[in-house]
Amino acid sequence: MTLYEAKKDGRYTIEGLSVEPSITRRLQALGLNDGTRIQVLNRKRKGALIIKVRGTRLALGRHISSHIEIQEESGEEA
Amino acid sequence: MEQTAKKAIRVACVGNPNCGKTTLFNALTGAKLKVANWPGVTVEKVEGQTSYEGIDITLVDTPGIYSLTCYTIEEKVTRRCVMDDDIDVVINIVDASSLERNLYLTLQLLELGKPVVLALNMMDIIRERGMEIDLHRLPEMLGNIPVVPVSATKRTGLSVLLHAVIHHYEEGAGEYILRYPEEIESKISQLEALMEKHYPTHSSVRWHAIKLLEDDEDVKEEHPIQVEHVVDRSYEKEIIQCKYAYIEKLVGECLFHREKKAAATDKIDRLLTHPVLGIPVFLLIMALVFFFTFTIGDALKGVFETGLDLFSGAVSRGLDFIHVSGWLKSLIVDGIIAGVGGILTFIPNIFILFLALALLEDSGYMARVAYVMDSVMGKVGLSGKAFLPMILGFGCTVPAIMATRALETEHDRRKTMMVTPFMSCSARLPIYVLFSGMFFGKYSSLAAFSMYVVGMAAAILSAMVINRMEKGRINDSLLIELPEYKRPNARTIRIYVWNKLKDYLTKAGTTIFIASIAIWFVLNFGPSGLVEDPAESFGAMVGKLLVPLLKPAGLGMWQIVVALISGISAKEVVVTSFAVLFGVSNANSAAGMAAIVSNVQAAYPGFGALNAYCLMLFCLLYVPCAATLATVRKESGSWKFTLKMMAFEILLAWCVATLVFQVGSLFL
Repeated sequence: MTLYEAKKDGRYTIEGLSVEPSITRRLQALGLNDGTRIQVLNRKRKGALIIKVRGTRLALGRHISSHIEIQEESGEEA
Repeated sequence: MEQTAKKAIRVACVGNPNCGKTTLFNALTGAKLKVANWPGVTVEKVEGQTSYEGIDITLVDTPGIYSLTCYTIEEKVTRRCVMDDDIDVVINIVDASSLERNLYLTLQLLELGKPVVLALNMMDIIRERGMEIDLHRLPEMLGNIPVVPVSATKRTGLSVLLHAVIHHYEEGAGEYILRYPEEIESKISQLEALMEKHYPTHSSVRWHAIKLLEDDEDVKEEHPIQVEHVVDRSYEKEIIQCKYAYIEKLVGECLFHREKKAAATDKIDRLLTHPVLGIPVFLLIMALVFFFTFTIGDALKGVFETGLDLFSGAVSRGLDFIHVSGWLKSLIVDGIIAGVGGILTFIPNIFILFLALALLEDSGYMARVAYVMDSVMGKVGLSGKAFLPMILGFGCTVPAIMATRALETEHDRRKTMMVTPFMSCSARLPIYVLFSGMFFGKYSSLAAFSMYVVGMAAAILSAMVINRMEKGRINDSLLIELPEYKRPNARTIRIYVWNKLKDYLTKAGTTIFIASIAIWFVLNFGPSGLVEDPAESFGAMVGKLLVPLLKPAGLGMWQIVVALISGISAKEVVVTSFAVLFGVSNANSAAGMAAIVSNVQAAYPGFGALNAYCLMLFCLLYVPCAATLATVRKESGSWKFTLKMMAFEILLAWCVATLVFQVGSLFL
């Protein structure tokens, strides 16, 4: 699934990025890499969402979130 | 080495956006640069001086960056600055409360091969949350560079930091701590050899080798060497992942008791970034800002009025006493004191406005606005981030235009520049206060407030029209970091508000002062020399030429034409010219307003609330002030764009004012 389909308060692991190279580079520098764990803090029904990654909060637009492949985390804490 | 003999060194402050670089820079140099709690406040590099133990230190403050591979204009500024050979030491400011992300840049800086000193900022937040950082293990894992805990806001740890800078400068750079997997390391060695062969004097060979391996465009351009046989593909992903893997290991060893409970920030965000309530809450906050600006500001202005009346009276009597000729007295009292003084009485309103904006910017809410407004902005083809310059536009358009540098593409920048002037800046405030006060009685605050709403609507609608014309798409590429909320800092607020008030006073003492004199001359001289009746002056002649054009908008008075033209020098000058036109010493007082109303209505009997409203609309939308035009020209690098913008704005102002006047006339 993609991050765009993620649920509020859900915890996920990143599996891959497929945005254009300049944005990918930016996301990687911000610490969104394969295997990075993230938590969705808030989201609009359609549109941007806020995630917590490596102790910081990022707001991401739909274009970006729908190109981030994620997997739901089964365990408890992140 | 000759290094130790050098008595002056250059030090760059580098770090992630919003980690406290400028606060630290201010603390070290005594500068008073603007600080706020959102990423992207600093868009230019700034230099300042300090000294430690007899060594002069030039500090360079830079825009925040997440990585040395960057893509916005301000980030390139930083990269160029750090790479510059004349930077002797880099102070890497790190926000200890988000160590994991901040250290990514640190690892890149270490690869540069320059001496790096780590300033660990925001340690108080760490302690508040019950976390601990192992200050022995951390430097060990970073190649034994100095790590100095500081508090930029409380100004602690600064001497230790400077001591470390000097000391570390004399020692030179540390070792590289991060080793990549064998495959990458061997390629790095090959590239290093190539770099050394082609650029024997180069100082950061390893960094360049790594960047070549990452397929970095800028590095390839600056150092064109044949590397295709080594770099068969981009190894960027692996390199980044290695760095983060190292950081995870480091954080695991150095950071204890990572926060368990949700920070207060997340609770506040439940409301402020609520999917449905987010926008209403934002509008409510802005409404409160302007409500306070008008009501509290007006309550305070009495003090200024009394002062100005006393001053004006005293000067007038003084000039009579020394028998100054009539025209000179008129120039001083009716020109300068009326023009400049009238503007000064708006200081309480301006003060409250900037105080409110300062609180907004320093609390951490700004970045949330980008998120909240993203869906609206997205529909008109801009990212939510483009809304940040627009909010700054409520203060002053010039820094707002500069703030567009943080936007990702040139196209978005230009579009944002085009619409930002529609946000009512503080210079337009006196116009609203004056004209709504004169013609709208108890509804004056409402009339003035409506200008802010109309301005925002004009900005968003014109962005939409531009987007349609370009056949643009929805923009949904928002990417912005949301900082922690914090209690606004008193010093930060003081600096912010004082800087703005100083700008306002400076403007009153320069632009408005000169404009007052110029307007006085234009209104008191005609083809035959000094004139008794301003209607025979040069000003009136020019004004009358354009009256037919403005008549449909309800503004067919030559006095208004003069006021609008002179208002291009600075928007407050519109008020100034009314004051000078009618020789009113204090335009903002009840008596002053009454005098202007009776004068206006004597010249133009039908002039009422509708005309006043159209005048306010016109002032909101027409050409921005000269300083803004100069900034737009500089930032866009194009006269054509600047002129296009002017034409668009005049046309829009005319159309809107005319429409409102014509439709309004049917009902009133």
